[in-house]
Amino acid sequence: MEERYGLLIDFEYCTGCQSCEVACKEEHGYPVGQWGIRVHEDGPWEIADGVFNFSKIPAPTDLCDLCAARTEKGREPSCVHHCLANVMKYGKVGDLAQELNKKGKQVLFVPQYLPLQAKGAFESKGKENRRHTFLTTEVSENAAFETATHGDTHLDIGMNEE
Amino acid sequence: MAEMKASSAVPLSTLADVNDLGKPWRWEEDGMTVTRTAPWSPPGCHPVACGLKLYTDKDGKLVKVEGDENQPITQGRLCVRCLTLKDYIYNPSRIIHPMKRAREDRGNPDAWEQCTWEEALDIIEENYKRITEEYGRESIVCFAGTGREGGTLAAWGSAALCTPNFCYSQSGYACYCPRLAASAYTLGCPYPEIDYAGGLAGRYDDPAFEVPEVLMIWGKDPLASNPDGFFGHAVVDMMRRGTRLIVVDPRATWLATHADIHVRLRPGTDAAFGMAMINTIIEEDLYDHDFVEYWCYGFEALAERVKDMPAEKAADIIGVPAETIKAAARMYAAGTPSALQWGLAFDQKANGMQCGHCAIALMSITGNVDVPGGQVLPPANSGLNEAGFLMKKGLGAELMAKTIGLKEYPAYVNTILNSHADLTLRAMETGDPYPIKMGFYAGNNLMSCTSAEPRRWHDAIVNNLDFCFTLETFMTPSAQASCEVFLPLSTAAEEDGVDFTHYGGTPVGTGFMNKALQVGECKTDMEACMAVGKRLNPSVWDEYDDVYDFIDHLRLKKRNKFKDVHEEVFVQTGVEYYKNEIGKLRSDGQPGFNTPTGRIELYSTIFEQFGDDPLPYYLEPQYSPKSTPELLKDYPLVLTTGARTYAFFHSENRQIPYCRELNPDPLIEINPETARAYGISNGQWVEVWNQFGSAKLKAKISQIVDENTVHAQHGWWFPEESGNEPDPYGTFRSNINNLVPNFHFGKLGFGAPFKCLLCNIKPLKESYDTDMKRVWEMFKREDQ
Repeated sequence: MEERYGLLIDFEYCTGCQSCEVACKEEHGYPVGQWGIRVHEDGPWEIADGVFNFSKIPAPTDLCDLCAARTEKGREPSCVHHCLANVMKYGKVGDLAQELNKKGKQVLFVPQYLPLQAKGAFESKGKENRRHTFLTTEVSENAAFETATHGDTHLDIGMNEE
Repeated sequence: MAEMKASSAVPLSTLADVNDLGKPWRWEEDGMTVTRTAPWSPPGCHPVACGLKLYTDKDGKLVKVEGDENQPITQGRLCVRCLTLKDYIYNPSRIIHPMKRAREDRGNPDAWEQCTWEEALDIIEENYKRITEEYGRESIVCFAGTGREGGTLAAWGSAALCTPNFCYSQSGYACYCPRLAASAYTLGCPYPEIDYAGGLAGRYDDPAFEVPEVLMIWGKDPLASNPDGFFGHAVVDMMRRGTRLIVVDPRATWLATHADIHVRLRPGTDAAFGMAMINTIIEEDLYDHDFVEYWCYGFEALAERVKDMPAEKAADIIGVPAETIKAAARMYAAGTPSALQWGLAFDQKANGMQCGHCAIALMSITGNVDVPGGQVLPPANSGLNEAGFLMKKGLGAELMAKTIGLKEYPAYVNTILNSHADLTLRAMETGDPYPIKMGFYAGNNLMSCTSAEPRRWHDAIVNNLDFCFTLETFMTPSAQASCEVFLPLSTAAEEDGVDFTHYGGTPVGTGFMNKALQVGECKTDMEACMAVGKRLNPSVWDEYDDVYDFIDHLRLKKRNKFKDVHEEVFVQTGVEYYKNEIGKLRSDGQPGFNTPTGRIELYSTIFEQFGDDPLPYYLEPQYSPKSTPELLKDYPLVLTTGARTYAFFHSENRQIPYCRELNPDPLIEINPETARAYGISNGQWVEVWNQFGSAKLKAKISQIVDENTVHAQHGWWFPEESGNEPDPYGTFRSNINNLVPNFHFGKLGFGAPFKCLLCNIKPLKESYDTDMKRVWEMFKREDQ
């Protein structure tokens, strides 16, 4: 199996400078309103007695292609190159997993560019395996037909709930 | 000739094997020319000299910008303001040709007409002659801005316009210079920056360096501001190498929440905290006896004075438990070494110089001055080279003596060779001591950013000055409201020049700007200064044939020539520690410090000479819960302003779509409990007001501030809106400086309460949300 590449982020030291976001937009030409990576902010909220949780977590989006045009030449992705806190690392997932094991407050992302498209267009593969056999079955008229199968109230399907 | 040689940078561990380490200052690649440069500004910034690689095509057009891994401090890293350099340079609203309009058309954006440089210079010369013949050269003011090359280019005053009134237009020069002056008086050198191994070739692993065990960051958020040329994320580099933090800040910033001790003090009470720190360290005998005995002056007097401020008393003033203050004092004193980074908050109160005196005393009595990983001092022969340049030749003693405020505030005016900001405002308004008739904006947009009571400055300028001009990259509200001539300014990518980290006040490095392209008819700050100067006062400029002569003299002190050394791109200074022991801090070559007593003056003979108290003391902010409790019924909240953002340098970058997208609207931070009490939702627009004025901002509900405090962003205007009067680009709608008064400085003329006022807030029904689609459509590049 081909080895995947990922981004290891030491978010203990991500300061939220957003250089990754903008470096990515410049590299890919993504317009206002679109991003290849976004910094998510969690905090500051107080845990207790002046101790706060305040984390900034960059997460690649569906438009992250891990800078394919750069990495095929052997360079690192633009976000990695420009990160002010130097907390992003690009590499093979196996290698990064080793790094991940060395300290806490890290996260390893394996991005997927346009994941829906990556699945390919929908194509049914079930045609040769139909469940029904279309034998000569007689279907008669249904004399027992009525609309409310559970009496005259809609309670059972929740329609009268406040 | 002085040796100037770049050493190879230490690569970041994340750099790929394919990289540009060791590349020359310029090379060809894939049909493009790559130029390495170490810019100052524009885009607005302090002189950090970050490394840039500029990729230009065969037509000289900028194609790509990338961080240069050869720069030893930034190592390829870049912030959003240089990452978007292409969007700045080719922004459709950038002005790239000179423009003119008539005086009666002030405030009318449609009246501008393109003209030639010659014509623009003719108009400037004509007005200069007319006005100076009638009112003298002192009737001209250079409104200087902050940080940018243009805002610090004092030669605009001394040599181009030859006026003594070079005026940083912020009340009380409430930025950097109060700290600089306190440091010059008591320590005998400019602001002593923390040691981050910036000048050492091996950086953090250099054998001469020690990573500070403790870093106390006080009234400063260096990550976003890159203050005075300090690469802010050097703090994070050192945290990852083991440095532990004490952060003194009213806000729970990212740094504060990652500190071992966060002293979350009430805004403006810093001097009380500083005195209590000193008192604890002395009382618990945590100080460095040898350093105090050999190198300090006035220790006993200081020890006696700070007895007035035990931690228990300070606790009541600053709103932090005494145990926290003591813990901070113990941790700071224990660190070997400890470094102390003290910021803008010191300058933005009337009591800031005493606070600065406390900081100098703290680093001194703990023996952290000029030691590896402590505070790094410049040698005697370096330091700030701008103030005073060409002043004797361009002004002469008689004109220098006319500087506004010289008699009233000599400690301010004579130390930094600026006219006093507040008294300059008064001179414009009243003609006292003499009329002001002409103005030039040097890297300054005072109506949006620098000045307190901006409407008052607007009226003083628009009503009383006969002629104004500016040198800028973009139209600003200030220029739109008041200028007759607009000169187009080059960005750093279009510039040959030199910059020094920390303005030369700390031995770190010298950067060279290498011009990669030309846009329109733009000129650099130094080119334009020389063009105007040669026209108005040619005799002052007779020794300069071209701008390189000017650069070599001003920036390189004639020790080197730009053309000989620019290919080095960034040259580290090299650092020598313990210079006080070997006579390298004083021009007489004797051991000690460059002060009257030759020692660090814990008891300041210069403060005394200027008529101020020689020892630190505490003053409450002029308007505060303790000094004016009667105002609390009308203004129940403490207002602090002006925290830095990554997206903007002060009032700049609002028309750069990718920057604006990070922070589309002016924000005011409100604690969730406060927001609940006032009925304000997250994202709702609010009005904030006090006895001086009001502004509309958008609420960001966050525990970053406590329940008693709100924090408002500064520098806001809206380039997508109309530039017409009465509110050019909406700048007065959201300008938090509307709430900040002038004439609230300290005894020596320094300081203003930008960070410690009172206010009230209320929710608004209407929304002023920025339409980012409109910003994108108006300001995106042609090729986007």
